[in-house]
Amino acid sequence: MSIDKGSAYTTNLPTPPAAPTSAVPLWARPRTIRIATTIVLSASAIVLLLFPLSPSRSAQNTVIIALVFAIGAVGLNIVTGYTGYLSLSQFAFVGIGAYTVAILARAWPDVSPFAWVPIGGLLAAAMACILGLVTYRSRGPSFVIITIAFLFLVQFIAIEWDELTNGTAGITMPLPDWPREWGNWPFHLALVVLLGLSLLMSWWIRRTKFGLGLIAIREDEGKAGTVGVTAPVYKLLAFGASALFVGMAGGVYAYYLGFVDPVNMFSILFSVQIVLSVILGGRGTLFGPVLGAFLIEPLNTFANNVSFGVIQGGGNLRLVMFGSLLLLLVVLLPEGIVPSLKALVERARAKGRVGLSGARLAPLSSSTTPAVTTERAPAHPGPARALLEVRGLSKSFGGNHAVDDCTFTVPEGSITALIGPNGSGKTTVFNLVSGTLLADRGEILLDGERVDRVAPWGRAHRGVGRTFQITRLFREMTVLENIVTPLRSFSIPRLGVPAVSGAEASRAMELLDFVGLAAYRDVRAGSLSYGQQKLIELAQVLMLDPKLIMLDEPAGGINPTLIERMGDLIRDLNRQGKTFLLVEHNMPFVLGLCDPIRVLAKGHVIAEGDPDRIQKDPAVIDAYLGDDYLLERKPAPAAGLVTEGSTR
Amino acid sequence: MNVIQALVSGLLVGAVYALMASGLTLVFGVMRVVNLAHGAFAILAAFLTWTLWSGLGLDPLASIPILSVVMFGVGWLAYVLIVRHVRNRHMSMTILATFGIALLLEGVMGFAWGNQSAAVRTAYTDSSVTIGPLYLPTVTLIAAAIAVVVLVSLKVLLDHTWAGRAIRASSVNESGALLVGVSVKAIAATTFGIGIATLGAGGAIIAATYPFIPGSHYQWIARLLAIAVLGGLGSLPGAVIGALIIGVGEQLATLWLGASWVVAVPFLVIFIVLLVRPQGILGQRLREDAVA
Repeated sequence: MSIDKGSAYTTNLPTPPAAPTSAVPLWARPRTIRIATTIVLSASAIVLLLFPLSPSRSAQNTVIIALVFAIGAVGLNIVTGYTGYLSLSQFAFVGIGAYTVAILARAWPDVSPFAWVPIGGLLAAAMACILGLVTYRSRGPSFVIITIAFLFLVQFIAIEWDELTNGTAGITMPLPDWPREWGNWPFHLALVVLLGLSLLMSWWIRRTKFGLGLIAIREDEGKAGTVGVTAPVYKLLAFGASALFVGMAGGVYAYYLGFVDPVNMFSILFSVQIVLSVILGGRGTLFGPVLGAFLIEPLNTFANNVSFGVIQGGGNLRLVMFGSLLLLLVVLLPEGIVPSLKALVERARAKGRVGLSGARLAPLSSSTTPAVTTERAPAHPGPARALLEVRGLSKSFGGNHAVDDCTFTVPEGSITALIGPNGSGKTTVFNLVSGTLLADRGEILLDGERVDRVAPWGRAHRGVGRTFQITRLFREMTVLENIVTPLRSFSIPRLGVPAVSGAEASRAMELLDFVGLAAYRDVRAGSLSYGQQKLIELAQVLMLDPKLIMLDEPAGGINPTLIERMGDLIRDLNRQGKTFLLVEHNMPFVLGLCDPIRVLAKGHVIAEGDPDRIQKDPAVIDAYLGDDYLLERKPAPAAGLVTEGSTR
Repeated sequence: MNVIQALVSGLLVGAVYALMASGLTLVFGVMRVVNLAHGAFAILAAFLTWTLWSGLGLDPLASIPILSVVMFGVGWLAYVLIVRHVRNRHMSMTILATFGIALLLEGVMGFAWGNQSAAVRTAYTDSSVTIGPLYLPTVTLIAAAIAVVVLVSLKVLLDHTWAGRAIRASSVNESGALLVGVSVKAIAATTFGIGIATLGAGGAIIAATYPFIPGSHYQWIARLLAIAVLGGLGSLPGAVIGALIIGVGEQLATLWLGASWVVAVPFLVIFIVLLVRPQGILGQRLREDAVA
């Protein structure tokens, strides 16, 4: 695994012009880093594999326990690093696996406890899926609190369900049934294999559509839904995956210890140790969690055995150490070791290179390949059929009726505008139509089909695409990753497809060309300017290939050139058959581009019609444009867009 | 009749829980920080009470004013040294930071006072008042009275002083408060300090009513979180209602299911409330369309 960000999946793509290698110091060159990483990883793997050759039983013990923590950390990384859900109950899955194996081994004393290890893993994964279901309702801090409650409830069950778990007394495991001279080898090798499998799974997840979806959820779960990521299924699978090998490791761990009890198996400190490992090593990296685990467990052993004069090692010192370490990490090194090292290398490489940011836009060639080829609608059908129909839509926030009995249509093939004063409910209508919010009352029909109870991803799959007033790109992803995240359908096999590949990748590049930002392919989306992000968000929505494209203030807060380009792009796409619904305050832009226009005030539509009619409608002038609108209008920045019809 | 006894005891204990939870929910309301160290600060105050009592012979009730000042300082310091730096990070990171404080405090208390169970015994420890068939320990009655006094003072402070209005303004709209001249930074530190200062009384009550060890903070933070979550994180009246419900619930669980179930009550409450009604009883469902 190379250190190069994104190298795992940028296959089949032309590489952007590289910087002259002479400018990069030798140690930071990709080749040097690649060789160094390979050497370090191979050496660590060999040492780890052969560690029981060490004569020290206590060192062997430390490594075996560190292996258990490393497996736990690699698992937690899937949930915390990739998906963004912090859990303080990860060690509970070690405990669940351990108890499963101990209980089964007690029931069938003739069978080797190793035989039950896979069952321990499956049960732990099933329990983790239940925790994953919880995320459907609670996120952020609520979720962390729930994981603490989960841990203590599992411990409570282990204590109280006496006949199964033998209560606080715990269960004693049979002695190993192999020759004495084998020593710890079977335990050690079993754990090494489990760690290898965990890493393989983590690597696989990161480079597939599944992993990309998880990262989208981490970056912005609401947005991920609107581009077709079926978040609940993703999270369920991620939680299951995060505990599968951890449960198995728990089974091996129980056999190694020879004893399971509720206090040690469900101590919150062990879960904290796993969290520490993940953060110290680096969230979201492949090897970071393993590195963290192998740094912290020896420290833990040390803290348990050391004594300085009056200060005895053991429980209290461990608490002080974990507490301080947690504080230091969160305050000083929240990124972790591996990402910090990567950043160091990146900086050395970027030194002396002119950045891309601020470069002028590539000219929009008129011969751009049509970005949209499917689902073409006739340019101007006779009596326009309504692609979107909104009937009696209402939504209140407390006493504020943001949308109140709102009814309008978007004719197929049109560029429909939704205008109105601030607070008139435009954005709420957008959120209701895209499914980010659920309506209190009313119906939303897409192509004649009710969608108002469909989840956001379901609406995305049916062909609704939207942008946000304040752009919501997945900031930590590259531009290209952002564009390939949208999914027009959901299927389990598709989760295993490489994140960026083949036809999809070339289409993404086409779209980037279309918005004129191809040069920014590998740039982190969060580092782009606001206007650039707007264009990227448009390209992202186009990747979804929606029937209806909803743009929330496409011309808001960007410079006149960009406004003009935005207008050209919209017109271009419309000619290719796309239907648009847009919210916008820039009146010249709206009047030059849109027909029909719906005017919203106090949550319902007060007027609708073509631009000419809207401008003369007294109700509209009263509620939105103002009496001085006609007198004061000057040539606006985007004057080129103003059509004959709008100048009187 | 046992049920009535349980109800009355539950309400009295609930008043104390309300006092303890008020700081937690105040801090969340103003700065969106879930302070997992709240229980550890309470146990710290309890140990300080114990030291004042065993060393100077100070009655736990008399030590409340001293402790409130000390705990304000401790809270202010914790804010300035740690919480301030992580406040604007992802909420999970602030949770981890406060959990780090809790572990650190637990370890430090272990070194300072040992891991043996401590308790303060006063003249009124074993006395009780009997009203008809009801049996009410004097300590619990005094504790509930103190809790009510502290809660009412807190309410007055928040509703009728400039500092209180500034705190509420910051909790509703931080940048708005900044614009109208509230020093949001100082207010945040003060709020955190006040939140912890309420534990001066809380810790004294714990010391006089329950035996405690450094590790007791888990049990307290679980209970207090359950209360705050049930009432609606950030809502002070919600915390009071939640505390009374949990207080009565624990007594009834002891009565009907056995004492060991008391441990599980908070966790069950947290689980169920966050799944069924994440905003709690009085918490407001935030408008989520801007930030999901």
